[in-house]
Amino acid sequence: MTKSANKYLNLLLTTLVSILIGAVIMLILGHNPIQAYFQLFKGAFVGKLNLGTTLQKFVPLLLTAIAFVVSSRAGVFNVGVEGELYLGAIAAAWVGFTFTNLPGPLLILFCIVVAAIIGALWSFIPSSLKAYLGVNEVCVTILMNYVAKYITSYLVNGPWSAKTGVPQTPAIAAQAKLTQFMKPSQANTGLFIGIAVVIIVYWILTRSNWGYKFTTVGLNPFHAEYVGINPKNSIINAMFLSGAVGGIAGAIEVLGTYGYFLDNFSSGIAFDGMLAALIVKNDIKMVPFMAFFLAVLKSGALGMERYTGVPKSIVDTIIAIFIIFATMEALFAFNKKKKAKEKTTEEQM
Amino acid sequence: MDLSSIFDYTLIYATIRAATPILFAALAAVITQQGDITNIGTEGIMLTSAFVAVLVSFTTGSWILALLAAMIAGVLTALIIAVAHIKYKADITAIGTAINIFALAITKFGIKQFLGTTGSFTSPKIVGIPRINIPFLQNNKYLNGIFNNWSLMEILGIIMVFALTFLLYRTVWGLRLRSVGHFPMAAETAGINVNKMKYQVMVISGILGGMAGAHLSIGYSQMFIENMTNGRGFMGVAAMFFGGANPIFAWVGSLLFGFVDSIGGRLQAYGWPSQFVLMLPYIITVAVLAVSLWSNAKKEEKKKSSLTI
Repeated sequence: MTKSANKYLNLLLTTLVSILIGAVIMLILGHNPIQAYFQLFKGAFVGKLNLGTTLQKFVPLLLTAIAFVVSSRAGVFNVGVEGELYLGAIAAAWVGFTFTNLPGPLLILFCIVVAAIIGALWSFIPSSLKAYLGVNEVCVTILMNYVAKYITSYLVNGPWSAKTGVPQTPAIAAQAKLTQFMKPSQANTGLFIGIAVVIIVYWILTRSNWGYKFTTVGLNPFHAEYVGINPKNSIINAMFLSGAVGGIAGAIEVLGTYGYFLDNFSSGIAFDGMLAALIVKNDIKMVPFMAFFLAVLKSGALGMERYTGVPKSIVDTIIAIFIIFATMEALFAFNKKKKAKEKTTEEQM
Repeated sequence: MDLSSIFDYTLIYATIRAATPILFAALAAVITQQGDITNIGTEGIMLTSAFVAVLVSFTTGSWILALLAAMIAGVLTALIIAVAHIKYKADITAIGTAINIFALAITKFGIKQFLGTTGSFTSPKIVGIPRINIPFLQNNKYLNGIFNNWSLMEILGIIMVFALTFLLYRTVWGLRLRSVGHFPMAAETAGINVNKMKYQVMVISGILGGMAGAHLSIGYSQMFIENMTNGRGFMGVAAMFFGGANPIFAWVGSLLFGFVDSIGGRLQAYGWPSQFVLMLPYIITVAVLAVSLWSNAKKEEKKKSSLTI
């Protein structure tokens, strides 16, 4: 019990330290940090538009963070969620503007399922390379992000272009669009789909056979093999699930936020999601809170820049500092073995 | 399609030119891999130093100062990774990724704060790393095309390959380093200060990564663009894996990626969609990585079977 309390205390401390460092940077550059942070939170919460934007940014952050958590359960560091997000998004857009005579709910489901399948299939490349050949997955997934981005860019500029001069696909059928409930912001019912997905994934990870296998493999693949779990299959399955969640994140962006696929729309959403997961050390229960916190920072940044002149990229810098500190304190998920060792030596003493 | 206009003598220099930034990144990854650290943060080291190089070159007008500043920035970035990983037990992949994102954010911030613009920055006031012109080569078209007007960094890159090879395989320090990479506990038992070795290789990696960044922003081009490394750091890491952490084979890997890059640029003239041309180097890198590790696995299998029989 004290251990988990410690973990949350650590998290709180790192949050405070990073906010402090951010304030120091602002002071050095001659801005007023208190005013900047005030505008930041005002820009994230006050008013329908601001709060709605925060919620809209929260959904993809949450899902991509969950996608990252799933793969890291099996010991795979999946930096490729961004690519899965792009491919899932364009797949959903294609379904959305092609099968226009399907009824609404069915079409939405169809879009999401296709996006999940495409995301999952894309993740099969790095996962099989990792499982069978031991290829470093960080390298492969990050390089494949570029490939995925260029594929979607080709499609949206070529065969699937709406031919309006803007690189985007035709709009999806009206009945496939998710309701935007906080106009004028783009917050949409994708929020509830996202939460449902998270609950399903949480159930899979903590209550199902699959989840148990992932965790066992992630902790010690040799032990897993010894007790009769095939680590290769588990790695591949975990990546399938991760890819599917990444694809769904893309689908929700298209169905809820935009209504079409826009070239280069994400600008690193999945990386922020990954940061949220890394900061909370892949503790799935904490992910929603951290994803929300990052969404607040991201959506408030614009207001901060507008009213105080502090460049909004300082928020990214603060988040990055945050993550550097968060990784340092003997990372929970990736350093379990070391931690266990420390613990036993402590006990012996 | 006219093959001879794609595969002509100018392709040789085009390959070397495109390979050099990847080569420096590969060497930065090689030296740490030999010390048991897979330096995923190479990309971030490169990006930070690329920015610093442009900033210093723009403000002071000296490419030497810019190169030095880039190397210092590279070392500082590498030291953040080193301290986090070695002292505070951060997972190297996690801290490497964190550094990459940090570099992206801080350069984005820096370009707005110090250069007053967003996206990209270029100016005639940026002084580039000089190219070396050898007058007597100009008489021969082929020699001129292949050997003349190399950037200083392109030559330095090749020198570095051999310097690192010597350092790793012909010096006591190199032997110790490789023993750290093979089996850190045994090295520790043999009286080698493993952590000190690791800090040393991270500093060297920072210097090499700094050169990579400086070359990218004031040698290869004369500008800074947001995320201008564009995965070159990771290609370097891939080249390192391809070469099994041997500088010479990693060089071969970088040349291969540079070759694909230059071929791609030429294919664009034949009506290939630009997106396919742009994704080509990434696909080839992943494919080469997979094939090289597959052949390694095969070799290992053969070795094992010959031992058991």
